[in-house]
Amino acid sequence: MSTAVQAGPGAHPGQPAAIAAVSVTKRFPGVLANDAVDFCVWRGEVHTILGENGAGKSTLAAMLCGLYRPDEGHIERNGKVVRLRSPREGLANGIGMVHQHFRLVDRFTVAENVVLGDPNQQRLLKPREIDKRVAEIGDRFGLPIDPRALISNLTVGQRQRVEIVKMLYRGADVLLLDEPTAVLTPPEVEALFTTVRSMTAEGKAIVFISHKLGEVMAVSDRVTVMRAGAVTGEVATTDTSQRHLAELMVGRPVEIGTRRGTSTDNTVALRATGLTVLDGDQTVVDDVSITIRKGEILGIAGVAGNGQRPLARALAGVFKPAHGTVEVGGVDVTGKGPTAARRAGLAFVPEDRLGTGLVPDLSLTDNMLLTRPRGFFVDRRTARAEIAAAIADYEIKTPGTESHARVLSGGNSQKVLIARELAGLGEAGGPQVIIVSSPTRGLDIGAAEFVRSRLHDARERGAAVLIISEDLDEVRSLADRVAVLYRGRIALEGATDQLPLESIGLAMAGVDESASAGLEGAT
Amino acid sequence: MIPFRIRLERRLERHWWQTAATPLLSILAALAAGAIFLLIEGFNPLTVYRELFEASFTSRYGITDSLTIAVPLILTGLAAAVAFRMNLFNIGAEGQLYLGAIFGSWAGLAIAADLPTILGVAAVLIAGAVGGALWAAPAAVFKAYFGTSEIITTLMLTFIALFLMRYLIFGSKSYWRDPEVTNFPQGKKIPPTARFELWSDTRLHWGLVAAIGIALLVWAIIRFTSLGFDMNVVGSSQNAARYAGIPVRRTVIVALLMSGALGGLAGATEVAGRAYALDPNGLELGLGFTGIVVAALARYNPFAIILVATFLGGLRNAGVALQGLPGERVPVEVSLMLQGVILLFAIGGEIFSHYRLSMTRLNTVAAA
Repeated sequence: MSTAVQAGPGAHPGQPAAIAAVSVTKRFPGVLANDAVDFCVWRGEVHTILGENGAGKSTLAAMLCGLYRPDEGHIERNGKVVRLRSPREGLANGIGMVHQHFRLVDRFTVAENVVLGDPNQQRLLKPREIDKRVAEIGDRFGLPIDPRALISNLTVGQRQRVEIVKMLYRGADVLLLDEPTAVLTPPEVEALFTTVRSMTAEGKAIVFISHKLGEVMAVSDRVTVMRAGAVTGEVATTDTSQRHLAELMVGRPVEIGTRRGTSTDNTVALRATGLTVLDGDQTVVDDVSITIRKGEILGIAGVAGNGQRPLARALAGVFKPAHGTVEVGGVDVTGKGPTAARRAGLAFVPEDRLGTGLVPDLSLTDNMLLTRPRGFFVDRRTARAEIAAAIADYEIKTPGTESHARVLSGGNSQKVLIARELAGLGEAGGPQVIIVSSPTRGLDIGAAEFVRSRLHDARERGAAVLIISEDLDEVRSLADRVAVLYRGRIALEGATDQLPLESIGLAMAGVDESASAGLEGAT
Repeated sequence: MIPFRIRLERRLERHWWQTAATPLLSILAALAAGAIFLLIEGFNPLTVYRELFEASFTSRYGITDSLTIAVPLILTGLAAAVAFRMNLFNIGAEGQLYLGAIFGSWAGLAIAADLPTILGVAAVLIAGAVGGALWAAPAAVFKAYFGTSEIITTLMLTFIALFLMRYLIFGSKSYWRDPEVTNFPQGKKIPPTARFELWSDTRLHWGLVAAIGIALLVWAIIRFTSLGFDMNVVGSSQNAARYAGIPVRRTVIVALLMSGALGGLAGATEVAGRAYALDPNGLELGLGFTGIVVAALARYNPFAIILVATFLGGLRNAGVALQGLPGERVPVEVSLMLQGVILLFAIGGEIFSHYRLSMTRLNTVAAA
């Protein structure tokens, strides 16, 4: 009765797939999000959907869990066609999705969140029984969690555990995890993978959605790679390599690797001393000192929300620090505002491209003018020539120089921003210090590669570069030195090649091991 | 299950005709909605609308009277547009207009008598602009430094301005009140050197040229100067403005002062071109509030403001003419009601210029 699902390398003959998408197609206005996609997961395996932003992996997952319905094709559960009309029906069929953005009520306890909206829950709550079951599930799958804890007191990693427990509590046998590691520290990622393995050991099927090649190789049994809405390959992790997966993802060979700076110039381009930033009465940056020499890249690693944003803003002159000084090229610009910092040779690419770096409702020409010195009248002619050159040079896809920044994709808006901030590099009056926050977040591999090569290029031309990113792989591949920010303080700093990943991970998680391991001399 | 799903999708690019279509369609929709009320009241909407058009736009005096009303509406429309396009909702152009009239008539009475006409009129206008800007200043400063809602402050200041003006004429023997008139209190007439010259034998005055010139100036400031650029940036993203080092507070204050000055200019042109005195009865026409309608329909475009002000000026002018229709005495409120309905549709229609409706057929999965 059902179309035969193509058996993958991990196929279990004689047993139907736990969940399968059979030739599903999904269209959105102007976009073919999924084009006749076949996908299946067996009980007891982890199957990753790998792809860049916009490749269609979230759409596929949404159809598997009942959020969308396929335009063509169908979903099979244990070999039977199911028509899921909502995530609730998905869950009734044992399919649960853990979203990237958690759906938890902050003021409720863990147990309350777990039973909230559960259709099988009896009208009369028996808190003690619920607590017991939540704790039981936690023990069984390596998800230690206090059922009575308030969500608002939990860390991001703990909240994710609650989401997983919630799905298991409701009897999910198929779990879809949408970019689950994006918000986690390395030790939390390890813990999550342990949980995933204990779930597959009990025969649960896991669909893992990711674009991080290292993690995909570490956790999955099979990988389905998607590009532009279509499947470009299905491979067992034992038969493939990161390079091969990246090629399937991008459609051409890509360069994965690290390049270190070769500069021997010891001139300090950026020096921050004892920088402290307050947000209300809360100290968000606490006594941070940084120096970056010309031709050097310093990477700031850390879990989101540990002071990265205020640090970048204080350095760029957007925030006024409570204490400390910032010197750009030997000029003290502390508290003198972004314009003074820029005049001293500082360029800043904020993490929020559209809305901070670029004004969505202004033309690209006007956006080029944003950080340029202006007289009484604005000089659009020069700006227009500049953006036109950047469009050609950076291969920016846009209808024209007068298009609003809003219409650009993430990658193209980042290119506009980088083009503006890096303009005049190497010339007198050009940028000497470049601060870049989350340089490649949300970009596809091609655009990310391009941005990274520009940053390398800036370093080669003598600029000092500060990269602030939550993506540890990115920091480690780009930066010559790494500093870890934890609760507004620099918890660890050293040459990238001399800092073991475990030390960085522990520092990100706030574990102080400097005393025992003696890592302090690594600078 | 419903077989269709209707949803709004954001338009990526807007064509100029889409920008123009919304206000035009909202005017048509408003006329259609107004027709319902007219029918309920027992009037033939087509007759009323035809009369309305003929009264305002077909005869020489009709046209010039419509344009005369358009003069202050252009300026209050600009006042609203300058602020609104930055998401600063100065709804107090009405009060700023009164202050412009108070300051303008003072300048006319105090210093214009010995000046040549061109300087006398200029003195009235400059004083009016200063008065309007001063009246917007508290709202501007409170907005910039404490985030106080300018909607509330400008509205409250409007009431203060209204009663201040009434007090100066009706409640006290002020400098503005004409001591020679004893029966009903009136404002003192400004000297001829403080008045706009009239055009031929009509009521239209040279203030129209001044208003159009000011519209051009506002357009040029927004389009070509750094101040205008800063206003655009602050208006669409304060984060980006801070990031770029644009002084957000100063830009907010300057924009609100500019808006107030334009409202004040509207009051000054009314004094110099039509009322010739601080005349509460002749000034309390809601010209400042109508400016909001003008700005909204014109989508804050200075050139469109000139056109829309003329249209709404005609509508207002016709309101008076309608009362004199033979046989059918249509109340003057009809034109005011139409004005309100037009605003409602213009704001409601805004969404369609940013979004488009799409209808998708929900698939019905064939049973396997």
